[in-house]
Amino acid sequence: MNSMQSATLDAGTGWLILAVFSIIWIALGGYLGRRAIGLEGYMLAGRKVGLALGTATAMATWVTSNTTMAAPQLALQMGVWGMLGYSLGSVGLMLFAPLAKRIHGLMPAGFTSGDFVRLRYGKTTWRVFLAISLFYGFGWLVSMGMAGGVLVNALTGIDYRIGMSVILAVCVLYTVLGGLRAVIGTDFLQTLIILVGVVILAWLAITEVGFERMHAAVLAERPELLNLLMPAAIMFLFNNLLFGVGEIFHSNVWWSRAFAFREGVGFRAYLMAGVFWMPIPVVAGFIALTVPALGINVPAADMVGPLVAANLLGAGGAILVFIVVFAALASSLDSLLAATSDLILTDIYKGHFRPRASEIELACAARWVVVGLGVLAWLLCLPRLTTLAELLYFTGAFVASTIWPIAAGLFWRRTNPAGAALAMVAGTATGLAGYFLIGFYVAALISAAVSMSIVLLSTWLRPGDFDWAVLANDREVQA
Amino acid sequence: MTISVTSLAFLVGTATLITALAPFVMMILWIRDWIRGQLW
Repeated sequence: MNSMQSATLDAGTGWLILAVFSIIWIALGGYLGRRAIGLEGYMLAGRKVGLALGTATAMATWVTSNTTMAAPQLALQMGVWGMLGYSLGSVGLMLFAPLAKRIHGLMPAGFTSGDFVRLRYGKTTWRVFLAISLFYGFGWLVSMGMAGGVLVNALTGIDYRIGMSVILAVCVLYTVLGGLRAVIGTDFLQTLIILVGVVILAWLAITEVGFERMHAAVLAERPELLNLLMPAAIMFLFNNLLFGVGEIFHSNVWWSRAFAFREGVGFRAYLMAGVFWMPIPVVAGFIALTVPALGINVPAADMVGPLVAANLLGAGGAILVFIVVFAALASSLDSLLAATSDLILTDIYKGHFRPRASEIELACAARWVVVGLGVLAWLLCLPRLTTLAELLYFTGAFVASTIWPIAAGLFWRRTNPAGAALAMVAGTATGLAGYFLIGFYVAALISAAVSMSIVLLSTWLRPGDFDWAVLANDREVQA
Repeated sequence: MTISVTSLAFLVGTATLITALAPFVMMILWIRDWIRGQLW
């Protein structure tokens, strides 16, 4: 049996795990969805989510299949800085804590991040923001769907299309049944599974291999992985930091939770989620450093996690990795489905086509939007276009351009609305130019710097004078 | 500049400890919210 075969489950075991966990998520989603009454109940879980569920959902959503599979890959390619750079993704969660408090305070009746941009900056900026946000949200959704198919195929041998279809269908089904309540409820269990899974693997690596042996073997075979001055890894660190902040500040995934948390929960939930998320890439990633000591042959860097797990735990390791990856995939896919469909429903369907739609009509349409989004994502995932997965690399230019317009718009009365729109357009354009002309590691950096300069300069030249009460009276303004 | 065994062990050990504690903290918070009727 070669190393790749040892990390792969037989299809029968794969199907059994898929079936058991699919039933659990759908049953739980359906059960929780019984109390998702009305539009607010469905879209925002009734706006009374407590600290435990709030912290868990923020953590689980930010732990994607990338965190569990790519963290070991980055450790294998970039060493210590690779996993530390990845863990800086938690800074976005922690920085969003004060924003979540501010959002809840300013917009107690708000629904989406689009609501804020429309009311704060006007319709032109709103449409620019929607284009960026929907492009990013949909790109992330499709890449997660494809990751699901690829990982199921790599870990169990089940055909890509079948695995991808099952995972997408399960997430769509329980999101349709229970809305954000189902998403948040399942996120809690998924968080526990992910945390316990990565700790078991880390503990085994520490006790079976040990730090002395691990360090000596890496130093002998791959000394660059222990080098604290690895330039490419340090570049990655800064780019990842800004990318993460941009992703979280603008995305409705995080805004919808800020609206859904009960009074006083948002700040603590995001701060705790960031603190507990920070060590996960290190715990999940460092096991790759055991490769030289264990003498594992790694034919594909993205399979290093399962390979180490199988070496340490045998077939049990492959099962554990598959369960953790399925939980990580589902926790992100369901959140993306719910938050992106909220944005489409509120800002596209109601905002552009049916401004007088009743709450009953919107609650019904919300479910159809989730189904439609799932079907569209499935269609785009079918051809397994690997280039689509790479979309996410240059979305850094898009999302980083929104950091300053969002943060300044939330805290600074004088922020210029036209400047905010220009900042997003110019930041994205220059970030993309940097991506193609220099490299992926500067896209977010250039975009954020240009966007910041425009927001500050436009506000200095022509300061606005925004009335915060407009945000509080959101529903009345729309009517 | 190479990271020492002690630093690597401290980094990974601390990260593992925090991650191992997280599920317990989550469960304690869940029970607290449940008792107070503030889960949802």
